[in-house]
This record gives sequence, structure tokens and C-alpha cells, in this order.
Amino acid sequence: MPKTNSDQLHGTLDMLVLKTLQTGRLHGYAIAIRLEHLSNEVLKVEEGSLYPALYRMEARGWLSSEWGMTETARRARFYKLTRQGRAQLEAETESWTRLTAAVQSVLAS
Amino acid sequence: MRILRHALARCRALVRRDAVAGEIRDEMQFHLLMRAEEYERQGLRADDARRAASRRFGNLALMQDRGYDVRGGGLMETILQDVRYGVRLLLKHRAFSVVAILTLAIGIGVSTALFSVVDAALLRPLPYPHPEELVGVTIRETHFGRAGWYAPSIADVRAWRESGRIFSHVGAGRVTGFLPRVVEAGQAERLVVGEVSEDFLEIFGVTPLLGRGIQIEDTREGAALVALLGHGYWQRRFGGTPDVIGRVIRIAGAPATIVGVLPAGFYRETAIWQPQQIPASGTNRRGSGTAVEGRLRPGVTLAQAERELTDLTRRTAPGPAEAPDVRVTLESMYDLETSGSGKTITPLACAVSLILVIACVNVAGLLLARGATREPELAIRAAIGAGRARLVRQLLTESLILASAGGLVGLILAWTSLDALVAIIPMSLPSNSPATVNMKVLGFATILSVVSSVVFGLVPALRMSRAWMGSQLAIAGRRHGSALSRRGGRLLIATEVALAVVLLTGAGLMVRSFARLTGVDVGFDPSAVVTMEVEPLDPAPAVLEQYYPALLSAVRTMPEVAAAGAVDYLPLRDGSRVTFAKGSGQTNFNMRQVLPGYFEAIGLPLKRGRFPTESDRTGAERVVLINEEAARLLFPDGSPVGRFLETVRELPRRIIGVVGNVRHSGPLRPPRPEVYLLYGQIAPLNPLRIVFRPRSSAVLSGDRLRQMAQAVGPKVLIGRIRSGTDDLGESVVTPRRRTQLLGLLGGLGMLLTLVGIFSVTAYAVARRTQEIGIRMAFGAGYADVVRTMVRDAAWPVVLGLSAGMAGAFFATRVIASFLFETTPHDPATFAAVAVLMGAAALVAAWVPARRAARVDPVIALRAE
Repeated sequence: MPKTNSDQLHGTLDMLVLKTLQTGRLHGYAIAIRLEHLSNEVLKVEEGSLYPALYRMEARGWLSSEWGMTETARRARFYKLTRQGRAQLEAETESWTRLTAAVQSVLAS
Repeated sequence: MRILRHALARCRALVRRDAVAGEIRDEMQFHLLMRAEEYERQGLRADDARRAASRRFGNLALMQDRGYDVRGGGLMETILQDVRYGVRLLLKHRAFSVVAILTLAIGIGVSTALFSVVDAALLRPLPYPHPEELVGVTIRETHFGRAGWYAPSIADVRAWRESGRIFSHVGAGRVTGFLPRVVEAGQAERLVVGEVSEDFLEIFGVTPLLGRGIQIEDTREGAALVALLGHGYWQRRFGGTPDVIGRVIRIAGAPATIVGVLPAGFYRETAIWQPQQIPASGTNRRGSGTAVEGRLRPGVTLAQAERELTDLTRRTAPGPAEAPDVRVTLESMYDLETSGSGKTITPLACAVSLILVIACVNVAGLLLARGATREPELAIRAAIGAGRARLVRQLLTESLILASAGGLVGLILAWTSLDALVAIIPMSLPSNSPATVNMKVLGFATILSVVSSVVFGLVPALRMSRAWMGSQLAIAGRRHGSALSRRGGRLLIATEVALAVVLLTGAGLMVRSFARLTGVDVGFDPSAVVTMEVEPLDPAPAVLEQYYPALLSAVRTMPEVAAAGAVDYLPLRDGSRVTFAKGSGQTNFNMRQVLPGYFEAIGLPLKRGRFPTESDRTGAERVVLINEEAARLLFPDGSPVGRFLETVRELPRRIIGVVGNVRHSGPLRPPRPEVYLLYGQIAPLNPLRIVFRPRSSAVLSGDRLRQMAQAVGPKVLIGRIRSGTDDLGESVVTPRRRTQLLGLLGGLGMLLTLVGIFSVTAYAVARRTQEIGIRMAFGAGYADVVRTMVRDAAWPVVLGLSAGMAGAFFATRVIASFLFETTPHDPATFAAVAVLMGAAALVAAWVPARRAARVDPVIALRAE
């Protein structure tokens, strides 16, 4: 069962990470770069905190990981979405959309 | 300690700590490297780039730690940490640890020991294959005009076996015999001889270790006597040699050939097994008293078996007149074996659980009290980021360590005390299923330890973690009596006192009942008599009838002997032969054989008529004495002396005297009608016990008595020489053991409670040192301070006493059936317990309180 995160900040980071992995497998640094680009550098967290988040999501079964080689022939750990992760992303996206729509309607009124 | 370290190493290898940590480090290093390269490409110098990457990443060590926690290595790691820390803490606070561990050990130890007994008595009482197929068989019919359950005759048993439909095996047996017999195998001794029919051992799946079992030919009247040796006797007397088969031993004077040896573990007390030889005329006789047991064929139910056996028995009945009334009744052997165990085990289990709860409450109190001194530590932990769950986990880990240590010591306690418990427990354990500490018992102790660690650990852990999560850091290091933990302490004291009161009331009632029991007049003064068991090796009637009177005349010449006599069944010790007297209705009469002098020797008073003399015994007329109870039943309207007593099997006898009543089966049982026949006027002759009444202040020498018994003539076997007081003691052995056991448990409960009150008060005193100092500085005297401290403990004690009384009022019902002329609500006992417990509790509070009053105000104030 995908569950929505009560802690919105955690949940947001989780959702964004899942989003970056939607198109395929990435290593941690690539995820960080992607997050930076996707959010137009608005979201600037300490990059290190990405890793505990990745491990947590892996423990929850949303991600799977393996060691592999980068294009520059360096050893790196690659993450990709599991089926459960995809379901979680959908659920998070939906709840996020609903929340932002609601906030927007409040602000617009 | 080495085992512990080994276990720790194993755990570490298990989580592969270095491998996991290494992966995390590599991954983060890769990230930093990539970021630094990126910065370099943007034009930063190499070391600047590294610094910038590092800044952007955040606290590397912290991220690694967090990552490690998330990846699961962390949990194991912190548990190990907590365990190490907990063990260090226990080693540091020795006094606390010793008290807590011993308290738990007592609670877990007594519970585990009792569980071993429960295991043997209730969980595996029948250590045979398919015990559910085993049944005991009785027949209900009318006998001498009385409907009752009787043992089936051997003819019944054989008919059932031959039909083959119900039983796979069925037989009759008296596994411990009736009375010990004189057995001569090199040396003469009195031994337990079991008597069984063919197919009896087969019921239990017992096959002889050597030789053969008992066959139907062996049980025919006049067949050559054979014997099987019990394993223990074979080892002891024959050194376990296999060539015993074919040897001849003498049992009760008759030669018997050894044809087999039984394996170990089957009725250890029975030294020899013999076929029960039944005369042809007796094969149809029911009600012999020899139990019939059987193994049902697989799938046959009790109801079905009862129906078919009843039909079969009615069809094959010898006379149609007896047939319609007959009904065969089966009872599962499990029920037979365990019936009555529950009655004894329930109160013990209640008492033991109370002790365990008191122990847990005690340790909870100790933990709370110690928690007060750990305020600063916990506050600091909380301040640097330990969550509440983390603190609770740490505290529970410590409880678990405590409980494990307690459980271990308790297990050792249970293991070492088990034999003593089995010896004292007031119930008969299954003969072939000894109580042992086995895997099941180990498992029980483990579960008990874990459960109790949660019971005593959770409340303190929750309280402590909550209490010090707030702004307590500000006052960390200050000792003061927080109202919260004082209230906790009071609640604990009240609980403990209440539980101990319940236990003590139970114990008190048992003691009171036992005092009443031993105060009962059994009809004579046991302390004034000495008895001797002596038996000629040759049991021929001529030898017996000659020997005992000769022995009595010899001992009467001793100046120390005031009177001497003999009887076949001693009161307070032996059983009885019974008979039915005509005109006495449903009550059967105890029947004894005596030699003149018996009544004077044992001290039964003459009520009417006269005592028998030697000339009565040898005279032509058969005479008899009866007791008052028999006289009341038979001749309610006049003196029985001179009238005739008629019994169902014996010839009428003239009554020459009436003697006082005797409680033959001990003070618990009311006096029964007794009939005393003169030795030689009834067959068969039983071996007799000699009864001496020493002159007051004279001491009878056992050696002299033995010499005299041997000097008379025939070779004899001399058994115990003992005082009547010993017999009286043994006749109440079950109530005494119940009293001792419940008394012991009550005492333990009280001791634990006192330890609890003492420690809670002592901690309260330690924490209020400063307050006491201020009071004393303002002029409070020694007595004031002591009074304050004791009063603090007094209220919960009073509360506990009242709650305990109320609880005991209901709880003592479980021992109601054990009480002799004592109600379970005996006010004197309740009052005594309240006074005892209250006084002891106040003393336990007063001792540490005195220490408070010795505080030097200056030092106390500086304690800040």
C-alpha cells in the first residue's frame, strides 16, 4: 500500500527523488544534479542528506540499488524504481496535486 | 563472560558492520569527488573545489552515521551498545544488581521449579506409547446388597481379551503389591512385590530386558512360582548380571524362579514382579481390589468400549440373576493419574505467581528509585538527540539483562531445589514420570524472564523517559524528591503489601488448621508407645502363632516395659482389613487381629466388659472386642457385652468388651467402627507389629529389643523400631507438607515485600537528604524526621493491608478444602497477618528512616 507521508518536507524530497528516477537508473550524484536542475535550484538542501533518504526509501522497498560503472569508468551505486516505488510516486503526485490545487484556490479567492 | 563476548563477536559478524559502513563511505566519497570535479571545471583550484564540495555535502560523518542507522546495521549496533552499557551499569551498581537479580531469581526459580512438577504431573504423566489408549476398568454391580464399583474378576478380563474387539491388551495388576514381603536372595529383606496377571506389562509396552514376561500358565493355581526382577533391585542385589535367569529366590518363604528382568524406569519402587495366582474358585470373584487396566484398540472410543464391554459381560455372566445390574465403566488413565493433582497445584501456582508478581513489582520499584539518580544522564541523552523510543529501548534492554541474569540464577535455583520440592510436595507424582529440568522447563524459564522484564521494566522505562524529556536538564544533577516518583513508590509498596497479605493469610490459615489437626485426640497417646516390625522368615501359621506370644512373654520380663501387645495393622500407620457386620447397614468395619495386652500397651481405654486374656485366645469360644463406634452402630439400645457379633464371612463371636474409639487413619479422619479378633481365631494369620509401653522415663534400647526378637527361636526379619509420635507425624504428612510449602511461599513473599519497602524508603531518604537537612536546620529533631519518613511509608502499607485483606477474603477459597476445622475467613488469622505484616513493614521503613535522621544538616545543605 503506498502511503502518503505525514511529514510534508520529507515526503516532498522523497517524491522528487522518485520523480528523477522515473526515466531510468541513476547514481546518487546524478540524482542530486537532476534535483538541482528540475527545481531550478530552488531546492537547495545539504546534498549529503540525500543518502539517508535513499537508504530509507530502499528499506521501504521503493528503490532497488546495485553497484555499476559510470561513463567515466568509475564505480558508483545506481538506484532505480521498484514497482512499489512507481505506485508510491503516483500516490504522492496525486496527493500533492490535490494539496497544491487546494492551496491555490485558497490563495486565488 | 567469555560466552558473552563470543556472542557479541558473532552478532557483529552477522551484520557485517565494516562492509556496510564501507559501502556508505565509498558512495559518499564518489559524490564528493564528482562534485569537486564539477567545481574544478568551473575554474576553482583543486583544494578549493574539494572544500566547496564538502561544504555543499554537509556533515559527512553525520550523514554516514544516519545512513548506517537507516541501513539496519544501526539497530543491531545500538542494541549491542545498550547491552554493553547495561552490563557495565549492573557491574557498577553491585548492591542494586544483587538485590534485583536475587529477587527475580526467587520469583522465576520457584515458578520454574513448580512448572517442572506441573510438567511431570500434568503434561506427560504417562510416559508410554499412545497414552490416550490407556484406561482403567471397573464394574458397577450390587455386591452384598450394596451397589458399588468393583474391580472386574480375572474371568471378566480374559473374556474381554478373547473377544479381541475392544482391547489390544488388558490385565490386572497391583503394581506396588499390598504389603512388603520378605524376600530372601542371599540376604533377607522386606521388599515391594508387585502382583500382575498375564498381558499386564504389555499394556504399557514394557518388554523384559532379559528373559520373558508373565504368561497365563504362570497364573494358574499351583503353577511353579516365577518372578521378574525390577531393574533397580537387579542392579543392587545381583550387580546387573545377566545370569540371574533361572536362579531361585524365596518370596514370603516360597521358592520362585527368576524368569526375567524389567527395564529401568517402570515403577522403580517395585523390586519384584510376580504372577498373581488366583485359585480356580476365585476367577469369577469381583472386587478383589486388584486394579484392571487396558489398552484400547486404536480408534475405539470410551463410550463405545463401555457399551460393548457391558453387553459382553452381561451375555457371559455365570448366573442370570446378577447380570442385568452389571455395567462396565472405563476411565482414561490420564484422568486417573492426574485427578487430584489440580487441587494441590492450583493453590501452589497461585502462591508462586503472587511471588513472581511481588518480585517484579520489587524490581520495578528498585528501577524507579534508581531512575531518580539517573535523571542527569537521561536528560543529557535526550538533549543530544536520543528520541523517547530510543531511551525506552535502552531502559528495556537493561531490564532484559537484569531478567536474564535473574532467570539464569532462578533456573539454577529451580534445578538444585527440584529434588527437595518433589520430596515435600503434598501430592503423588506419576510413578514413571520424574520431574526434571528439560527443554520445556528451560523454555518456560526463558519466556518467564522475558515477560517479567517487560512487566517490571516497561512502567519505569515509560515514566523515566517521559519525565526527563522536558526541561529537566536545567536541574540535572540536583537531587530532589519529585512527587511523581514518590507516588510511584507508594503505589508499589501498597501493591506488594497487598500481595504479601494474600500469601501470608493463606499460609496462616494452613498453620492454624495444622495446629488444630495435631491437637486432635486420636484415641491414645502416640508419644507413650514404641512399635517394632518383626516377622519370621517362615510365614507358616504354626510358626507365627507360636512366635509372637513367645516374644511378648519375653519382652514383658524387661523392667523398662510396662505393657506389651501386638496387632496386625497399627493405627496411624497401616491400612485396614474390612468386613461387613450384619445389622450395620452400609458401613464396613475395620477388622484387626490382636494378641492380649495390645489394648493396655497402646493405651485404648476399656469402656465396658473386660480386656482379653491369653486363655480367651486359646479357649474354645471365639470372642471379640469392638469399639464404641461399632457398639453405637450395632447395639444402639443396650450393652453389647455378652451378645454376638456376626459378620458376612466369619462365624459369630461373643463380644467380651468395648474399647475406646481410635482414629486409625490419622486425625483427619473420624473414628470408624473397629472389630478386634484374637490372633489364632481367624485365618489367614497376618504378621504382627509389636507395641510396647515403656515405663515413664524409661528408655527402651532398640538393640535389646532386636536381640530379644532374635533370641525367641525362628529366624526373623526385623524392620523399623519407632515411636508412636513418628507415626502420628506421618499420618498428617500431607497437611504438614502443604503447610510447610505454603508457609515457605508466604515467608518468601513477605521477605521480598520487606526488601521492597526497605529499598523504596532508603531511596526516598537518599533523595530527600537536602530537605531533611533544611528541616533539621530549622530545628526538627531526630524523632520528627524518623516519624516523617515512616509516615510516608505507613499510608501505602495501610492501603496495601486493606486491599490484601479484601483479596485474601476471596483468594483463600482455593485452599478451603485443605483446611481442617478452620474457615477460610478465620478472623484470628486475618488479624494476626495484619499485625505481623504491618509491624514488619514499619520496621522495614524505620531502619532506613533512622539513617535519614542522622544526617548532618551542614552536609545535607551542601549536597546541593
